[in-house]
Amino acid sequence: MFDWMNILWGLFYILVFPGALFTCCVGLFLAGIDRKVIAHMQKRIGPPIVQPTYDFFKLMGKETIVPARANKLVFLGAPILGFVSLALIMLFVPIFGFTAFSGDADLIVILYLITISGVALIAGGSASGSPYAGIGISREMVTMMSYELPFVLVLLAVAKKVGGASLVFSMDAVAAWQAENTCMAFQWSMIPAAIAFLLIIPAEVGMQPFDVAEAETEICEGPLIEYSGAALGVFKLNTAMKMCIMTGLFTSLFFGGIRTGYIWLDAIVFVAISAVVTLICITTVHAVTARLKIEHLFKFFWTIVSGLAGVSLVLVWLGL
Amino acid sequence: MININYLPVLSVMLCFLAAFFIEIFGSKIAGIRRFITLVATTAVLIMTGLMFKPIMLDGGIVAYWMGNWEPVNGYAIGIGYEVDALGFAFTVLVALTCWLSSVYALGYMNRDHHMAHYDTLFLMLEGSVLGLTMTGDIFNMFVMIEIMTFASVALTAFRAKQEGALEAAFKYLVIGSIGSSLNLLGIAMLYGECHTLNMAQLSALLYGGLTPTTAFAFGAILAGFAVKAYIVPFHTPAADAYAVAPASISMVFAGMVNKAGVYGLIRMVWIVFRAMDIKTIQILLVVFGTVTMFIGVTMALAQHEFKRLLAFHSISQIGYVVTAIGLGSALGLTGGIFHAVNHTLFKGLLFLCAGAVFYATGTTNLDKLGGLSKKMPKTTFCFLIGAAAISGLPPFNGFASKWIIYQAAYEKAVESNNFLFAIVTVAGLIVSVMTLASFIKVTQAVFFGQLHEEHKDVKEAPVSMRIPMYIMSALCLCGGLFYNVVNKFFLHPAVSTTVNVEAYINRMMGDGYAAQYGVTNIAVEPAQFSFWNPLVWLALFAVVFCAAAIVILTGKRTRGKVLTPVNADPKYATFFSGEQEEFSQVGGSDLFWGFKKNWAGYYRVMTGLHSGNVNDYATYTVIAVAIIVLCMFIFMR
Amino acid sequence: MIIVNYIASIMLVVLGLYAVCTQKNLIKVVLGLSIIDYGVNLLIVSFGFSEGGTAPIYSMADLLNGVASHHFVDPVPQALTLTSIVIGACVDAMALSLVVMIYRKYHSVNADDVRRLQG
Repeated sequence: MFDWMNILWGLFYILVFPGALFTCCVGLFLAGIDRKVIAHMQKRIGPPIVQPTYDFFKLMGKETIVPARANKLVFLGAPILGFVSLALIMLFVPIFGFTAFSGDADLIVILYLITISGVALIAGGSASGSPYAGIGISREMVTMMSYELPFVLVLLAVAKKVGGASLVFSMDAVAAWQAENTCMAFQWSMIPAAIAFLLIIPAEVGMQPFDVAEAETEICEGPLIEYSGAALGVFKLNTAMKMCIMTGLFTSLFFGGIRTGYIWLDAIVFVAISAVVTLICITTVHAVTARLKIEHLFKFFWTIVSGLAGVSLVLVWLGL
Repeated sequence: MININYLPVLSVMLCFLAAFFIEIFGSKIAGIRRFITLVATTAVLIMTGLMFKPIMLDGGIVAYWMGNWEPVNGYAIGIGYEVDALGFAFTVLVALTCWLSSVYALGYMNRDHHMAHYDTLFLMLEGSVLGLTMTGDIFNMFVMIEIMTFASVALTAFRAKQEGALEAAFKYLVIGSIGSSLNLLGIAMLYGECHTLNMAQLSALLYGGLTPTTAFAFGAILAGFAVKAYIVPFHTPAADAYAVAPASISMVFAGMVNKAGVYGLIRMVWIVFRAMDIKTIQILLVVFGTVTMFIGVTMALAQHEFKRLLAFHSISQIGYVVTAIGLGSALGLTGGIFHAVNHTLFKGLLFLCAGAVFYATGTTNLDKLGGLSKKMPKTTFCFLIGAAAISGLPPFNGFASKWIIYQAAYEKAVESNNFLFAIVTVAGLIVSVMTLASFIKVTQAVFFGQLHEEHKDVKEAPVSMRIPMYIMSALCLCGGLFYNVVNKFFLHPAVSTTVNVEAYINRMMGDGYAAQYGVTNIAVEPAQFSFWNPLVWLALFAVVFCAAAIVILTGKRTRGKVLTPVNADPKYATFFSGEQEEFSQVGGSDLFWGFKKNWAGYYRVMTGLHSGNVNDYATYTVIAVAIIVLCMFIFMR
Repeated sequence: MIIVNYIASIMLVVLGLYAVCTQKNLIKVVLGLSIIDYGVNLLIVSFGFSEGGTAPIYSMADLLNGVASHHFVDPVPQALTLTSIVIGACVDAMALSLVVMIYRKYHSVNADDVRRLQG
């Protein structure tokens, strides 16, 4: 019943691979690539790829100031809550053949865990008591409402495609189905959903043109305005982890069929595809667009992106 | 040891008797009044607890014939009380809600006058809803509904000086009376057709199918209970009444009065008429439920008043319950009952928090509050738990029940290949996010942000008000963590008795009665759902520990200095980009304009429809009732 | 003819609903509610009607003979109607008292004026 070996493995999964450590490292790596490539796109040399990691450790060593107006517990607890929820997500995402935990409802658990990380940012900003943060959390929440609809539609389309009444929400089933048939990305009916998902990723990570919540030039990073030191560092780390998770989720949902049979090789291919996805949907989009207004963002996601995802869902429903 | 079969009647009678005694002895001395109320509610809770084992664990049914008038020649003549697991599940809710509310009211209502009337009406309300959930007689159910409406209306108007209290009570009364009359109409039709009022017998007689008369009766009763459950478009009086009633009563309204309507819907649709296999009924309930959850939550986003916002959320959550019931599968029913239970817990908790804020500050206007988390940390903590639970964030109970509802809706969609149910799933998830959004708005507007000048001396709510809040918070967490236990000992018996009517009929009418009408048992497997395993919990705690450790260890140099804001030191001041610090709270109604701007047309129409005019509300009610009854006739055959 | 009763009762219900939906005067709204109730009550009583039936009481002769020489009307609907009338009276009293209090506070019984809770 109480199997120590299982518990040790569980701890390993959570803390090292594919949990906290792996997500952090890959996330920081992806963030580094992003900065390097965008620099090259703008004809700059750019920082080294490990720069985000340096930034993180530097921030961890700085003093954490809690403003007099803030609610101490929530202000300091929020970044940790975000970190925990993000560290858990990768456990449910299959790295091709390998999944740490699998249940019946992975897709919904992932959806909610991502929401929690957003809530953590909002709660922290709200607790700081700054009016800039107030505007920031309002925008962050509207952003969340915007991308949630297409996100749900994409997930439902995938679930329907995989089919079967009992295990529809299981990520494992999604991966297994792709290994048996072809990858989702090569199913023509799923291509609109894939495009929609690619558009969701920058909004989820908070990158241009969807970075309204943290708009540095207007509201001074919104929810993060009062943060400093270790707490800010953890929030920056969370953003990097989100990058890893969202691209990883895309890889797993749409390219989940690739299996080499070796877990380490799988992991490398996984990271490589994630990096490519990052370059496409985060770096390139960031380099060529300007920030949207919040009401335009909402309209964009509820019409065009949801439309794309909806087309996929309808096509899948018709059995195509 | 007392005979278990007497307990239902005893508990109902105890409430009414206690109400009577309070009016006689307690009107002068507060101590006696409080004593009688507490004893009565506690005794009901204990009696409910005594019934738990025979009903939930042993799968029995508690039955009692008033005056020992047992059925003669297969016809039920007397009034029978019959508590099966479904009724009992709701009885538990009633007993628990009332007990918590009576404890809360000790502190919360201590500044009001004429409290003897309050307690009398409160106990009448408890007695009537208890009677409604435990009775086996459909006319008795109607009587209980009427007493319930009566007591609710009086309690809504209890703080008559409060803005809008009288008007809300009047609207509640008008819409509620239309609903009750519809119920009575349906009951009369049923009696004319079947010549019995006993629900067990009705269930057997109606097993073969519906005739036009019974279909009309079904439509009327369905509409009647839908009015009592306050689904859209019958929701208008609920929004008003919950907002103006005292918080201890709002909690009771959201916790059990609209659950009475939900219970009636389940009882009628699943047991008496056994109509769940009819596609029209499924689609009718699912469409009404989905519309309810959507309109409820969007209206809530536009509110400026704390309790009115909660009221609209209450409506929205009932939409989830009705949708789940309407799916017509055992899994859906499990989700529906689970969500009804959870809604009682988290919405009760939130109303109590709103009451605590009102008690401390004297207002519930979101634009006039702010920064209370420093003054009322414990209330804030409870509120955050409630908000997380209602938004369906793991690991709280709302997540568990909502997940079952999504799963049930999607399974239904895959099974029946009907796109409607897929839309329902999407709507459920989106409504969940919007719920989250509006609770973030409340959190920002009431508990975080800047403290107003006039709230400088605000104090935390007294202990007697906090205890019910703690209990409900704990239950919210337990429901999410131990959902399998809840399912095994609470939901599964309820679902199983709802799907199998044979035992319900035979217990009242004698063995073999059900078989005469061809009623047979259908075995129901306990709903299987697992989205967490214990390992993940261990994991979660490990990660929390490690994250905290990393932060503490790497941030070592500054530890100790971190938490000491000094007023004179400008580095602890909030950043205002060089401007002088001034009062600049982002008010609750200013949040989310990016969302509202896109929906301006929708909001114009919706606020226009919620005009506050009692004639308009009655018209919506009549139109919706007409739609329900017409659906019965057009699509039933 | 019993069919007259059915038609009359349905007409009463519809009339009552019409009053509730259209009349601006709150007292008329309350009257509409009671008219609905009366319509339903009439319907219930009519269900218990039986051509040539007598009051549901055994006479001494019936008891001695052991058989009833005539048939009764159904007593249950009458009990139901009584209960329903009592409840209806309570609700009306309550509603009227609310209207009185509303008049004291708003100085009007027009439904268009009594709408401070909206939106």
